Parts: sequence; structure tokens; C-alpha cells
Amino acid sequence: MEELVDLAIKVAIEAGADYAEARFQSNVSRFYLVRNGNPEAVGETKRAGIGVRVLVGGAMGFASINKPDADLVRERVRDAVSMARASSRLLKEPIRFSEEEAPEDSYAVKPKIPAEDVPMEEKMELLMDVDRRVASPREVGVSVPQRLFQLSEKVEEKYYANSEGARIRSTVPRVYFTGFLTAHEGGAGTEQESIEKGESRGWEAVREWNLVDYVAERATTLGRILREAEKPPKGKVDVVLGSLVVGLMVHESAGHPYEADRIFGREAAQAGESFLTVDMLGRRIGAEVVSVADDPTIPNSYGYYLYDDEGVKARRRLLIKNGVINEFLHNRETAARMGVRSNASARAEFFDREPIIRMANTFMLPGDHTLEELLEGVKLGVYIRTFGEWNIDDRRYNMRFVGTESYLIKNGELGGFVRRPVLEITTPGFYGSIDAVGRELRFEAATCGKGDPVQGVPVWHGGPDVRVRGVEVWR
Amino acid sequence: MEVKPELTELSEWVVRLGLKLGADEVAAISNHSVARQVRFANNQVTITNTWDEVEVSILLKKAGRVLVSSTTDISKEALEDAVRNLVKAANVVKRHESYAPLPEGPFQYGEVPGIYDGEVARLGEEAVDYVEAAVNAALEAGARRVAGTLTSMESASSLATSKNVSASIRRTAMSLMVRGLADGEASGMGVTCGTTLRDFHPEEAGRDAGRLAGMSTKVAPVEAGKHATVLGRPAAAVFFDILAGMSSAFHVDSGVSCLVGKLGRKVASEALSVYDDPRRPGGLGSTPFDDEGYPTRRTPIIEGGVLRNYLHNSLTAKRHGVRSTANAGWIAPHAWNVVVSEGEIADDELVEEVKDGLFVNNMTYVRFQDYRSGDFSTIIRDGVFRIKNGEIVGAVRGLRLSDNVLHMLEGVNALSREARQVSHWWMEWGSPSVWTPLVLIREVNYTKPTK
Repeated sequence: MEELVDLAIKVAIEAGADYAEARFQSNVSRFYLVRNGNPEAVGETKRAGIGVRVLVGGAMGFASINKPDADLVRERVRDAVSMARASSRLLKEPIRFSEEEAPEDSYAVKPKIPAEDVPMEEKMELLMDVDRRVASPREVGVSVPQRLFQLSEKVEEKYYANSEGARIRSTVPRVYFTGFLTAHEGGAGTEQESIEKGESRGWEAVREWNLVDYVAERATTLGRILREAEKPPKGKVDVVLGSLVVGLMVHESAGHPYEADRIFGREAAQAGESFLTVDMLGRRIGAEVVSVADDPTIPNSYGYYLYDDEGVKARRRLLIKNGVINEFLHNRETAARMGVRSNASARAEFFDREPIIRMANTFMLPGDHTLEELLEGVKLGVYIRTFGEWNIDDRRYNMRFVGTESYLIKNGELGGFVRRPVLEITTPGFYGSIDAVGRELRFEAATCGKGDPVQGVPVWHGGPDVRVRGVEVWR
Repeated sequence: MEVKPELTELSEWVVRLGLKLGADEVAAISNHSVARQVRFANNQVTITNTWDEVEVSILLKKAGRVLVSSTTDISKEALEDAVRNLVKAANVVKRHESYAPLPEGPFQYGEVPGIYDGEVARLGEEAVDYVEAAVNAALEAGARRVAGTLTSMESASSLATSKNVSASIRRTAMSLMVRGLADGEASGMGVTCGTTLRDFHPEEAGRDAGRLAGMSTKVAPVEAGKHATVLGRPAAAVFFDILAGMSSAFHVDSGVSCLVGKLGRKVASEALSVYDDPRRPGGLGSTPFDDEGYPTRRTPIIEGGVLRNYLHNSLTAKRHGVRSTANAGWIAPHAWNVVVSEGEIADDELVEEVKDGLFVNNMTYVRFQDYRSGDFSTIIRDGVFRIKNGEIVGAVRGLRLSDNVLHMLEGVNALSREARQVSHWWMEWGSPSVWTPLVLIREVNYTKPTK
């Protein structure tokens, strides 16, 4: 397919494009699905083809094909150029790209144990073991009548080229686990929890996850919540948020609103825009102890990459620095609009999707407190360790998180479980009320959705535990 | 695009290959689609997309094992590899506990009218004209900035199974979602979609988006709490898409549904009926056959407030001891076209029924704390208004709808008399389309942030 990538660029330039890039991308995924002890299905998906993007007089066009047919490549590339040209009459502000280097490079993540080398029996047996343990009330102390587990192994291969001379080859394998548990206790109803694990590694990661014990522990905790949890305190209290909750909160309220395409309104019709404006760079958004980064280069991370899908070399982006808005996430289009260099945030899920601005691994930087020290300063409050329901408005300003594993804090001591405390808070309200940050950084895997058609890309989000002062908790 | 003989031959070749390599049963679907999309924001086009894609999906069953594959690499070598991998997998995984064979054909499918329009298939650069018309209509109606997506598609699909099924379909689809923005948080949304150009009204969608955005600039204060609520069509489509998803037997058995154990019981107001209608003319999801080859038929989900059916494929039907409802999905059954019952009165009259309440045009970002109980919250936007004495008196900001699916179903008081087809980005549970009128719900709970 590499020769077709080069052909696509040549045809685009000949047809009148000012700039062209083409990407061969292959995504192969094998999955194993067990539900309620039953092997529901085993399967494989392969999506491979070429995506071509062009700039014609400041208008952008994209085309994709998956048949390795030179004539079809020519036809569809010319289509992309003519559609872009046709759309340029609605153009008030032509699209420009930032000046970037045109590197030639390649990289590959080498798994210690390639997932495809592990016998299928072992993978299915692992899921069946997870299920057997969780299905046993004797083992986990609660009835878990509904259980859904899926394990996936994926390999993503890319060859990227553009008309400026960039040539990047990459191979990234990933492993991913999702689980969904419904625990039931007569008289107390149900508690549910989603579990996700993901890394850019081989089977060695799956072994390190200790899934049988980990999932069983989650089920046991759900059972205890059902049996023991009391109502959370109502009104203004202090809240300690666990790192998993902090991770999702920074993803939603510091990652998404810092995506420059949202700030410029490009995603307005679907995922939405941002409460931030360009002139807010340098303005205080939170307490001095708050810094948030996004970093695609973390080894083994689920959102790992070294070059983005515009051929720009990846680096850490510091979104919030000591409480001040520091940097947005850029592709070459938004970087040019702001007169800066791209920070390599453009990614596409598959060959047939345009690259758009995405997070990779977003996290709050750790501080120096232990969990005990965070709790010490709280007279009455709640420790929310895991969440269930959450959402945030499309400007990323008004968010809500409902705790699943949550505890009462009284006089600096952790008490018993409280059930479903609700934290509904604005973004500045959250970042401005943090007064202490824990020292242990943890990550969780997720699939982040954006774009139209929606593109789900692998990410990590993470952080330490944090303490938030004087916020109202619902129940 | 005709359903080319090559597409049918490809499916039949995969079926023969699977049997030759040792499968007990095989089904294959070959699909070729050409789609175009124009995305726009800030009143101008941001990108045009053209997709030309061929994909083959394979279901293979052997000794009670169920295996699936899909690939865009349709070379014979790659397909042979895919089938060999599935046969190999069948030899090591365990037997499906409610295994059911594929249905024995041949079947008579009949025609589903109005799902192909050559003009949609031939649509090229004219798509930009439709976008321009929608943008201009939105600006004239009150928006300052307009964003959205227009997508047109032509596809041909061929199903073959080892049980004497050979069936093909070609279809077209068009959809346009327009979001108008006035100042700051003021937004509105309009949608138009269908299978033919006759059903496609870009200026109307633009006008709706602009009008609602313009109306959203004047704010009326409202406290959190319980309010009578009229759901606009985009919001109702999100709600009933969730209901249809929760009626899939796969989701019922997975605990991702508040309809578990409620078959035959009253789950909604008597005023409400909801059907899956795969033979509706012009339906974006319309199809004469499902992925296993069963002829499709209309299935009541809720009738007069009573939960009548879950949606099934062969495997879930076996587990539940019923017949398939022809909603395969090889792994998870799903709805084709969700159709909500119509009421007696016009849209305006439904709003006039409300003494004190809210109008919610769109719901986004629906997330559940507990699918089994149905507790959820959602971001409301694109036209959220206070209604007083039957009239809209101003826009509402900062509220979040925080309620329960069953509670809202029970609270349906009235429906307007015209169900229209809706499909948009926030219908996250995968129904291709929802036909819905406006829906009046007696009491819906709202919350707002405290800091």
C-alpha cells in the first residue's frame, strides 16, 4: 500500500492541491467476550486502507478507499480535490497549516509477549476465571447476577506521508479489558461498575493486571456498599477525590476545553465548544497547587504515540501550570491560527477518518500529600474513590459526578461507606477549591469519543487524590 | 449503484469457503458504500469527506461455538485467512450455552418501498449548496454562527447464509444536523433526514436552528426541582433511542437495562406506544431482512404503556424461549426504526397545555448511575425554555435533567400528532432513526451546580 500512499499525494498535487497528505492505516483487533459465564463470541476485525487529505485554496478535503486499486485512488483523490474546491466558495477564512519540520522516522512498540503468541485457550480461560470468581457469592460476598467481560488485543500500523516530505512509519500493539458488574442485594437494590484497563504493550500487561483478583475486589466492594452504605452528609462539606475520579475530571474539564478546535468552534455541532477563549491564555483558572498535563510519550500508556497524524513529533503539553491556563492542544490548522507551532495533537481512529485534535494521556501532576494527610484536615466530608454517572456540558463548564465507592470522613478519619454522593460543580469552582494534592499518580484507560463520524481513540486519564474545600454534596 | 453480482458472489463464496473449512453454519454480508459529508462551522465548510468502502462481515458457527469477523481487506487470501482463524478459534473456545442455528431459508422478503433515490446516489458538489441554504436560513432566523454536518450515502449490501438465504438491498440516506449559535450559551438545533431528496429539507432545519438560537438569548430564571416538560424531537429521539437499546435482549441480559424482568408489565403511561418498524417507507434503518436472514416485521416494544417485547436474534430468543423478532445483529439485537405513537394535538397546542414548565429541545451526554434502576442525568441544550401559561417566556440556562427512565415513561401525559424521523449525533445507543412527535411529561427533575 505504500506506493499507493505516494501515488495519492502525487495525484492530489497534480489535481491542484496546495498540500496533500496520505496515511495507510491498518487496525487489527481480536476480541473475546464472556457474559454471565457464557462464551458469547470470539471475533476479529480488520480495517485497513488509505486516507488522503488535501488543502485546495484554503479549503480542506478528505477521501478514503480500502481497495488497493490505483485507478480508484486517482478517482477518489480527484474527488477530494474537487469537493474541497467546490466548498471554497463558502470560505471566509482560508485554512492554513503551521510551518513544521518534515521528518522521516519510524518507531515500534515491541511487546515482551506478543498477544498473538498467547494461546486463545489461555485468553478465554482467563475471562472464564474472572467470571467464575465473581459469580460466586461465597468468594465475593454478594450476588453478581450480571457480568460482562471483554478482552481485546489490537495492532495499529501506519505509514504517513505528506507533500512536504514527511515519512513516518509506526507499529503500536495494545491490550484492553472492559468489565461491567451488576451486584444485587435484596432490599438494597443494585450497584453497578464499569472497569477498564488498557496499555500499549503485549500480554505481559494483562498478566500484571491480575484481573481475577482485581475484578473480585470490585465486586466485593459493591456488595459492601449495598449492605453498609448510609446516606452521605448534605450541604457544604470538604471532599477528597480519588485519583480515578480526578483523572476523569481533568480529562473532561481540562482536556476537552483546551482542544483548540473546540475553542475555535469547529466541533460546535456535535461534541461542542469551550468556555475558554484564546485571550484567556495566562489567566488563573485554579489554585496554585493545580497543574495538568497531557503527554502522548509516556511509555506503555494506552494513548501512546511519538508522531501525530500530521507527522508532527509528539511532546508533553502543560495545559494548566500552577493554576494558570498555559497551553492549548493544537493541530497544524489551529496552531497557524494562533501563530504557534503544533503540539502534535492530531489523531485519526482509522484510515477513513480525518485527523482531529485529541487528548492522549491527560493527568493532574502529583503533589506531596499522602491520603492520610489529605484526610487529616477534614472535619466532615466525603471521600469519593470511584464514580458511576458523570457528564459535563458542551462548553465544559458545568459538570456532575456521582460516587460509587465513597466514604464518610469525620474528624480526619475515614468512616463507613456512603451511597451515591453527587458532586455538581463548575470547572473554575472545582480547580479553585483544591487546596492539597496527593503524591501518588495513577492512570485509568478509556476510549474518548469526538468528531463526526465519531472517532473513539485510546487514552489514559489520571491524577493523584486531591482535597476540595467547601463544596455542596447532594444525595 | 446496483447490487453488483460480484457482491453477492463474494458473500456466497465466503459461505462455501467456511463450510469447506469445517464450519457447521456460515453467514456473510458484503457491503459497498460510497458516502459524502460536508462539515461546517462558523458559517463555512471545515472539510468535505468522501468515503468509498467495501467490507465483508462473517458469522461462523461450529459445534455450538459462535465466531464473528469483519474485514475491509477483501482479497481472497485475506478472507481465507479470516475464515481459517475463525475455524481455528472454534476448536478452542467453549460452547455457547444458548446456541441456536441460523434460520432455514429461503424466505420471501417483499419490498420495502422508498429507501433508494438515484438523486441522492448521484449527489456530489450540490451538497455544498444544501449546506449554504441551511446556513443562510439559520442566519436569517436568528443565529450568528452556524455549524453542522450534511451526509449523503449510497450503499449496496448482500447477505448469504448456508441455510439457503441469499438477499440483497440497496439504499440511500441523507441527513443534516444544524446547530445555530447566537450569543454565548444561546443555541438551537434543527435536523432533517430521510432516504430520498423529497424527505430532505435543509432550509427548514436551518430555520429551526436559527429561530431556537435567537429565542435563547433572553433568559428566564428557573430554580432546580421538578417541572412539567415538553421534549422536542431531538431530545425525544435520544430518550427513545435509549429505550430501544434497553429493549435489546443482549442489554437486558447484560444488566444494561431498566426493563429487566418487566415483560408484560406496565412500564409507561397508557398514552405511550413504541414500535420497531423495519418496513417503514423512507426509514433510515428500513430493511426487508435481518443479519441472520429472517424477514423483518413490526414489533411492539411498549403498547399502551405495557412492555410487550424485547428485541431478539436467534441466540437471545433461544435463551428467552421465544421466537426471534428479526432484529439480528449477530451478537446483539438492535432496533431498525423506532416509531413513537402519535397523539391528537398539534405541536403548538401541546406547549399550550403547560401552565408552568420547560421545553427541552435536545438532550446530550446521557449517563447512568444504575442502568438497572434507570437513574441518569443529561445535559440539555439547543433550545431550553421556560413555559408559562402555555407560552415560552425565556431561555433556561445551567440546569441538568436528572431523573429516571421509568419515571419519565410513566409521566408521559400527551404526544403531539406528527411523528417525524430524527437521526443525530447524540443518539448514542445506535438506533438508525427514531420517528417521534413532541412528548409532554408530567414531572421531570432538574439539578444545577452549587459552586
